[in-house]
Amino acid sequence: MQRKQPVKRAPIILKNIRDKQNDNNSEGKLLRRILVSGLLSILLILVIIYTIPDTILTTSSLIEYATIVALIIFLFVLLFRYFAILVMAYMYVNEYTYKSTARFFPFVSIIVPVYNEEKVVVDSVKSLLELDYSNYEIIIVNDGSTDKTKEVAETLVGYQKGLRGNIKVSLINKPNGGKSQALNAGIKHSKAEIVLCMDGDSQLTPNSINVAVRHFTNPEIGAVAGNVKVLNRGKLFTDLQALEYIEGLNMARSAQSFVKLVNIIPGPIGLFRKRAIEEAGYYSSDTFAEDADLTLKILANGWKIYYEPNSISYTEAPEKLPQLLKQRYRWTRGILQSIRKHKKLMFNPTINFGDTFILWTMFYEALIWPAMNIAANLFFIIAAVFFGFTSLIFFWWAGLAFLDLVTALYCVAVEKEEFRLVGYSLIYRMFFILIIDVSKLMSTIEEFLGVRMTWGKLERVGASR
Amino acid sequence: MELIPILSTIILVATISTFILAIGAYILYKVREAKEVRTTVPKPAEVKGELVTPAAGQEQFPVYAEKSSGYASQRQPIFMSQEKQASQAKFTPQPQQYNAEKSKEAAVASERSRVKSTGSKFLKYTSEGYVTPQEDSKKTGALKWR
Repeated sequence: MQRKQPVKRAPIILKNIRDKQNDNNSEGKLLRRILVSGLLSILLILVIIYTIPDTILTTSSLIEYATIVALIIFLFVLLFRYFAILVMAYMYVNEYTYKSTARFFPFVSIIVPVYNEEKVVVDSVKSLLELDYSNYEIIIVNDGSTDKTKEVAETLVGYQKGLRGNIKVSLINKPNGGKSQALNAGIKHSKAEIVLCMDGDSQLTPNSINVAVRHFTNPEIGAVAGNVKVLNRGKLFTDLQALEYIEGLNMARSAQSFVKLVNIIPGPIGLFRKRAIEEAGYYSSDTFAEDADLTLKILANGWKIYYEPNSISYTEAPEKLPQLLKQRYRWTRGILQSIRKHKKLMFNPTINFGDTFILWTMFYEALIWPAMNIAANLFFIIAAVFFGFTSLIFFWWAGLAFLDLVTALYCVAVEKEEFRLVGYSLIYRMFFILIIDVSKLMSTIEEFLGVRMTWGKLERVGASR
Repeated sequence: MELIPILSTIILVATISTFILAIGAYILYKVREAKEVRTTVPKPAEVKGELVTPAAGQEQFPVYAEKSSGYASQRQPIFMSQEKQASQAKFTPQPQQYNAEKSKEAAVASERSRVKSTGSKFLKYTSEGYVTPQEDSKKTGALKWR
């Protein structure tokens, strides 16, 4: 990388996107919600108590039957979900393998929003200069960092030597306003037709742009989601997350890509047609999952979104449990906020059926699925502790572990990932997913009650150093 | 002792511990978060920022750009200023929803206008669409004596 070069400074005015005021935290609304849900629950219990003498069931047998029926439904849904995702992901991979690639090199602006990323911003930009693509520029957006990020980023401004020539690196310094505002500032400054949005701590692999931009030859494609992988591996939590990214997130994205309806373009790597972002009204700050919100807005405008597995971005995953919980808490609440924002599309499939389908799957994954998993685990714990059916929990674990093992083997083979990650599938569901699901359920309750939340910031360690 | 009861006990203990760990960690996270001082500042309509770009005169670095077509090995160095680089965006096709009816109508309209401009009364339908008899005779390549 070249030393500090002479730079030109110019003051700019950045207009903030006006978001709708979120009035969900009002106490009146909260009390009304609690009251209505409480009354409905009491009504349901009364109906059951009143009607049970007319049936052949006793109260205890009703609980037993209800639990067994719920478990069978859960098992059916679980298997259906797994196989549907696996089949669609396989069909996508099959289609992907046989698709020819065209040579297409549009100008791309890479937007790198940074907030207190002094440890990792240089590595991020270095990884961008090694991209196997010539027609691009880098725009770093310093979102009012309080550490030395500004000074470090200024040393990067200039024409830096890239793999295929000199790459222009610019910097926008702005007061702190959140990631979405930082990305918006970069996108508005960009003159390119295609923008690549990423995180300040992410690192792209050399062919990330090359393989992703070709999908934009299809005029229906509004965005391309990249493949996110965990950079800082070698610890229990980060390895489990590495497996989760491959097995849980990427496989689901492949399945969604089969119908070109990817529901979340990940923050660490996403390529957008600038017009699609403009039509969607840029990133909003009224949810905590700005990437999910923008994706839903793009889909609502009729654009298709594709997933490119070879467009890889390495990102630092939380290494400690509190950090992981903080991240998942934000993701869950953000997704629920995005779903609520687009609820019109959820209940009216005539507007955009694809969007309705995607919103229901998001709702299921964020709310119903974790609740079902926790309920099933609680059932087996109660059955073992109070009724002595200890072996049931073993068979339950064995069944799920086998399912996870097969899925992990498939995903690791498809992504050509580290084989050792397959071993983690044995504790993946009973340990990792249970923790994540408890966090998801708590976040859902808080979101329902309208508890205030803050963005939070993960501690970065600069794993690539 | 049989294996299944031992494994069952291990899994049971692990599951209960995980539950306790998850709920405990969550409570701890909420307690820590509550301690943090939070202030909600209303967002202004616009903020002042600073744009730092490379100084003028640096644009003329030789940039090795790929051609829009051809093989990767056939790259040639070309001089490319910032403006030129930006103009390459024109290669991106204008995104538009495909509408079979519209495209058909557009094709028919262009055909009509083309035929109108020729001023011919009669048209001949060929595999290449409607053409005037003059055009058709040219294409069929009637024999000419040298």
